[in-house]
Amino acid sequence: MSGAPILRLANVESAYGPIKAIRGVSLEVAPGEIATVLGSNGAGKTTILKTISGIIDPRRGSVEFKGESITAMDPALVVQRGLSHVPEGREVFPLLSVHDNLLMGAYTRKDRDQVARDMETVFGYFPILRERAAQNAGLLSGGQQQMLAISRAIMAAPELILLDEPSLGLSPRLTKEIFEIIVRINRERGTSMLLVEQNANMALNAADYGYVIENGRIVMGDTCAVLREKDDIKEFYLGMKEQGTRGERRWKKKKTWR
Amino acid sequence: MSTGLDPHRVVSGSQFGWQPEVVPFTTIPELFARRAAELGDAPMMRQKDLGIWRAYSWREVETIASEIGAGLVRLGFEPGEVVSVLANTRREWVWTDLGTLMAGGVCNGVYPTDSAAQLQYLCGDSACVYLFVENDEQLDKFLEVRDRLPRIRKVVVFDMEGLSNLDDPQVIGLDTLRELGRLELKERPDAIVGRRGARKPGDVAILVYTSGTTGKPKGAMISHANLCAVLSGLSTSLFEGIPAGGERVAFLPLCHIAERMIGGYVPIMRGEVVNFVENPETVFENVREIQPHVFFAVPRVWEKIYSQVMITLSEAGKVQQLAYKWAMGVGERVAQARAEGGEPQGTLKLQSRLANFLVLDNVRRMTGMSRVRMGLTGAAPISPALIRWYQSLGVPLREGWGMTETCAGGTVTPRTRIRPGSIGVPGPGIEMRIAEGTNEILLRGPNVILGYLNQPEKTAETIDRDGWLHTGDVGRVDDDGFFYITDRMKDIIITAGGKNITPSEWENELKFSPYVTDVVMIGDKRAFLTALVMIDQENVEKFAQDHDVPFTNYASLTRAKEVQDLIWREIESVNGKFARVEQVKKFRLIEQQLTAEDEELTPTMKLKRALVQKKYAELIEGMYRD
Repeated sequence: MSGAPILRLANVESAYGPIKAIRGVSLEVAPGEIATVLGSNGAGKTTILKTISGIIDPRRGSVEFKGESITAMDPALVVQRGLSHVPEGREVFPLLSVHDNLLMGAYTRKDRDQVARDMETVFGYFPILRERAAQNAGLLSGGQQQMLAISRAIMAAPELILLDEPSLGLSPRLTKEIFEIIVRINRERGTSMLLVEQNANMALNAADYGYVIENGRIVMGDTCAVLREKDDIKEFYLGMKEQGTRGERRWKKKKTWR
Repeated sequence: MSTGLDPHRVVSGSQFGWQPEVVPFTTIPELFARRAAELGDAPMMRQKDLGIWRAYSWREVETIASEIGAGLVRLGFEPGEVVSVLANTRREWVWTDLGTLMAGGVCNGVYPTDSAAQLQYLCGDSACVYLFVENDEQLDKFLEVRDRLPRIRKVVVFDMEGLSNLDDPQVIGLDTLRELGRLELKERPDAIVGRRGARKPGDVAILVYTSGTTGKPKGAMISHANLCAVLSGLSTSLFEGIPAGGERVAFLPLCHIAERMIGGYVPIMRGEVVNFVENPETVFENVREIQPHVFFAVPRVWEKIYSQVMITLSEAGKVQQLAYKWAMGVGERVAQARAEGGEPQGTLKLQSRLANFLVLDNVRRMTGMSRVRMGLTGAAPISPALIRWYQSLGVPLREGWGMTETCAGGTVTPRTRIRPGSIGVPGPGIEMRIAEGTNEILLRGPNVILGYLNQPEKTAETIDRDGWLHTGDVGRVDDDGFFYITDRMKDIIITAGGKNITPSEWENELKFSPYVTDVVMIGDKRAFLTALVMIDQENVEKFAQDHDVPFTNYASLTRAKEVQDLIWREIESVNGKFARVEQVKKFRLIEQQLTAEDEELTPTMKLKRALVQKKYAELIEGMYRD
């Protein structure tokens, strides 16, 4: 990583009532880079994102964005500072038109001209949204809703986007397309991203730096190029197994995370 | 120490009034048959099935073991042939062990953490003909090397889950073997009873391979007579004044001589119920559930329980911390009174009751130690401070010393005369002395093994012509006949300045820190001493979290400056107890999180000194460069 990180979490602990969802998570996102957090169901990935964007207040630890603390700040203020959250399951406004959904993303902005230009840009990324601009968002397919959710986040002109499982419920082909555009947005606009994913293969190819989280703890963090070569990642996240002599295998190797 | 007593004199157990009991059996099957007849339907062992404890009576186990033995006989098993078991500590391990011995065989254990290559060596060296494996995972190890193990006739799997599609004539399930056994017993009812005389007391009963920190593992040949000698000494020494029966928890590997005795044969001798833990990760939960009467563990486990209490305490309120401090102070005075052979009197008696009621009972219950009447540590050195802590808590922890070559027999501290720091006095029937010149501890007795399998020259090096076993431990004996271990002979460090340093004393002090799991001191032929430290992940993580030290994973935890400073503070406080030349000047933390599968650790989770020094040579050189 180079330069001061745009986002830095230090010893963040968040809980739902008595249940600690994440226990002492420290991670960084470098400016202009895509970082990813891999982990299974319930590992605490979504909680990390919610804690960053202020939806959940952490019990301990601090969140810094562009060198300033945004720990437990009101989500609306976090968005104004340039951090957008694309939630898990899209969460578009189903009864608003696609166009209005996009304008909702720009709600906090005052620069009308730039908003119009950004609208053009997202239509450039996702031409289908221009075709459906007048339709209610609830009538879009899952993939289109995901496109809309990402576009809505871009409309806030963020410097960092938090993406929560963009591949959820999408076909492999659509997933590939979405990831290609995510990388394009990152390269063209220089927007940093923190991407949470279960689809490890996609995420490791798209991202520059990766963390693995298990039971609310980070067990590994390295560049994605290095992570892709780790035995544990190959076996538990990419599904590549050495075949036993019997040709089948039920037991799992123990994870060592090194 | 001083006075006129010869520091190299022979000290024997009988000097302390410890005599072996006369026992009416000469082999393990004879002992087991007796107990099964006496105790019948009482529970002998328990293990969980899908989370529920299932008990097996003595009679049931006898039936199962007979079936296993008869099944082997039906397959063509001959007296004196070797069976190997590759499994975690569980009921089937003990059943197989007993079944094998009942069929006149020799039973050998393989560590469940061993690799396929190690399995191949152990099966090859022991000329094993039947292999018992725990499950598909362990079976795969065999299948990987089966071409190189032509002697093995059949492999028996305890848990067939996931193997229903396996079509391999060489592999059968334990149920199938028992089926064969039932058939055999039906046709020839004396199939097992008839083998009772097949083995003589002097014949090999079990093989125990020593973990071998250097060179190939050596198979110690342990006879029925060796085992019976140790068993016959129990009630007058280790269990002196302690009623038979009660509960115990088995969790250490059964291929290790300590658990094989204490989790296998001793409970048969003493009529204790053995509870097998669910898996190696649930030891502490299971201990809390069972609240055993007899608890044997290696120092690492005792250290872990202690540090759990310390961590809980650090989170407690001020009042609780003060109450703990006061109660432990009372406990210490009570332990002191007991060590002098008395019971607390007057005010102390009242204080002791209050301390137990308010604090100590709770701590003991929380750690699973509420009923312990015989706590024992062994297999590795322990810090005397830790023994004192348990004594103050009211857990009668004693230290024993033994090794594979002594069939786990050796010394133990007498129940009424505990001396932290000493390994105790020789057990019944055992003679010991300190060798002139080298100060090596020598031992002679009926518990000394027959020798090493296939390695007569190693046997001759270890057991001399007069029957003295050269233990490899260096130590001394005081005027009262209590022995003290200074170190392993090969571990002694001679610094560049020519000073002899015994690392284990310093290491044990540091291991007492809740933040340190293990440590290796370095300094042979060097100008000063250094150390490689393995941190306790859980406790150091907690420290980092409490002090806002950011970290991502284990490696980054070890690199954090605050953690380095924390360990240095722990080292400095230990250094304060030692002379200047014995102090550690620099240290490094091992960045890799090690597991039992790693070659750096022994199966009992000790760092292998020689291997660690070689593997981390670069790290070590770094400490001496600048």
